[in-house]
Amino acid sequence: MKLQRVADRHEAEVELVARTGSSIRARIGDSEVSADFERLPDGSAMLKLGGRHYRVSGARRGDSILVTVGPRGFEFKPVVARRAGVRGDLVAPELTSPMPGKVLKILVAEGDAIKAGEPVIVLEAMKMETLISAETPAKVSKIRVGLGQMVDAGEVLVELSPIADSSAPQSEPATP
Amino acid sequence: MKTEALKKLLVANRGEIALRIIRSARVMGLKTVAVFSEADAAMAHVAEADEARLIGPAQAARSYLNIAAILEAAKTSGADAIHPGYGFLSERPEFARAVAEAGLIFVGPPAEVMAAIGDKVAARRVAINAGVPVVPGSEVADPASARAFALEAGLPILVKASAGGGGRGMRIVEREADLEAALGAASREAEAAFGDGRIFLEKYLARPRHIEVQLLGDRYGKIVALGERECSIQRRHQKIIEESPSPAVGERMRARMVEAAIRLARAVAYRNAGTVEFLLDGDNFYFLEVNARLQVEHPITEIRFGYDLVSEQLKLAAGEPAADPPSPRGHAIECRIYAEDAEHDFRPATGKVLHFRQPGGPGVRLDTFLGPGVEISAHYDGLLAKLICTGEDREQARRRTILALDEFALLGVTNTAAFLREVVASEAFARADLSTHFIEENFPHWHCGDDGAEAALIAAALVAERVLGADRVAPQAEARAGASAASAPRSPWALLGDFRLGRR
Repeated sequence: MKLQRVADRHEAEVELVARTGSSIRARIGDSEVSADFERLPDGSAMLKLGGRHYRVSGARRGDSILVTVGPRGFEFKPVVARRAGVRGDLVAPELTSPMPGKVLKILVAEGDAIKAGEPVIVLEAMKMETLISAETPAKVSKIRVGLGQMVDAGEVLVELSPIADSSAPQSEPATP
Repeated sequence: MKTEALKKLLVANRGEIALRIIRSARVMGLKTVAVFSEADAAMAHVAEADEARLIGPAQAARSYLNIAAILEAAKTSGADAIHPGYGFLSERPEFARAVAEAGLIFVGPPAEVMAAIGDKVAARRVAINAGVPVVPGSEVADPASARAFALEAGLPILVKASAGGGGRGMRIVEREADLEAALGAASREAEAAFGDGRIFLEKYLARPRHIEVQLLGDRYGKIVALGERECSIQRRHQKIIEESPSPAVGERMRARMVEAAIRLARAVAYRNAGTVEFLLDGDNFYFLEVNARLQVEHPITEIRFGYDLVSEQLKLAAGEPAADPPSPRGHAIECRIYAEDAEHDFRPATGKVLHFRQPGGPGVRLDTFLGPGVEISAHYDGLLAKLICTGEDREQARRRTILALDEFALLGVTNTAAFLREVVASEAFARADLSTHFIEENFPHWHCGDDGAEAALIAAALVAERVLGADRVAPQAEARAGASAASAPRSPWALLGDFRLGRR
């Protein structure tokens, strides 16, 4: 099973090779490791690995696997091979919210041509303003959120489409 | 001496502080009333209070900042006093006034005291008149005057909100070209956070330490100080680690700061609990602001003095005189665990608590409202828990903090516990080489490293195999279908196919 750490997009392959009682053998990349695993009554577990004890907990959430090792949190997603036929003319064909928050301002209108680095949306999370900007020149094909709307991390805010002519005149920002 | 008998206390707040106030009030034999928004019906403060009143929808502006709804809750529940906690309405003179006009006791300074020092600009004038040193600054913040001040004081300068605290509406301006944009953004943030868009400017000190003095004042004019706290470790100008005593403050400096803080408090006839904040720059200290309320970091003071500060607040509000505090002992460190991603500029995180492990042992206290199933939303401040560790000396408190953070676990909400552990374990923190720029200087782009990564991968495989943990469905994504339904891909678990032990 190939997993990707969400924080740094680092990919690693892990496979449970065998499990007998509390003993497990796992293959991580090219090496095989032995570990001891003890479930605890609170739903967490003790993992003995390489002479160290780790207190771990974990759960699935949506398409993620969440894990804690001591105070540290990890989020993994399974790496799924890209389906053929998906083309990416833009680095990001859409702008997504990096965090949960409220849409404070929408600085563009559908049909606008925007430049790389141009601010598109102002989000407010926990009373702080955050600017969401375009990564590449693009045309705004659809605005998926409204003013004042609460959005989740990863939610699509604005759909973009590749721009035909990067020197196209820039339209006036719409008044939200 | 006239004292009123408090019988029933309404707590106009949420989260850990509401719970903490309710506990102290109940110990004193008071009945307690919690208030809550629609998002908070299942929160611990609602469950722990004797009764609870719904005051509005999730948005703070319509619930926890809704003075009329809170006063109505006090009236229908028969409360005779209101404790505002910190944040929300705690430093709004109009709230203190409305509470008093409703014939209730406000647990905090009276409205006129709050008005005199709640506004940073007004507080600065009070400090100057009381002979307390202040950082060079300007109250005029239109673009032209701002440019003139920047020229005179020299860049960088700090743009701050006149009202409120906690770093909201604060900007450092390093280049003249950025000045006008910073004035606008700071004003908007201040307006959004405090309903007051006024800002002012201050010279930016290069490497100051944040030191504050805890005060208690009674209605007979007596003001006592409970030593100092150092709160230099901040991110986004908000404190994340505090300690008492300050490793940088000796006996003589402490006496000077306490004397200045009391002088300033006397000038406004300060009452109840309050904090005078200073910046310490070498041998000089400058007045920063007064926090006319209980501070987030008050536990490190109460542990050293053997006080319950909420209990002291309630006694002062009832008209009892301020007692001379005992001698403090030991050292205390507080770590604030936030729902934030320390690897990505401390951006806010949300989620549901899927597993929670609380540290323990001698000298370890955790103030929190966390528990399995608790939902952390984007509506409110992201403070999840305060870990307060005490020791005979700083080193023992520090070591207890590290071990307590190692014991802490929170699954389901990205949080700063692992980051705080590294900060407290760092050589710079051990040496107490602190300044308000500590995080930028020592942990500019923190990544949690590979320690434990192998254990995490194995744990993840055990979760995939359903050996560890229960399946949870993404709560936010599904709660609002429609927004994501169109683009929802097929579950990657289905795409992975059947995964079996020992087979590829």
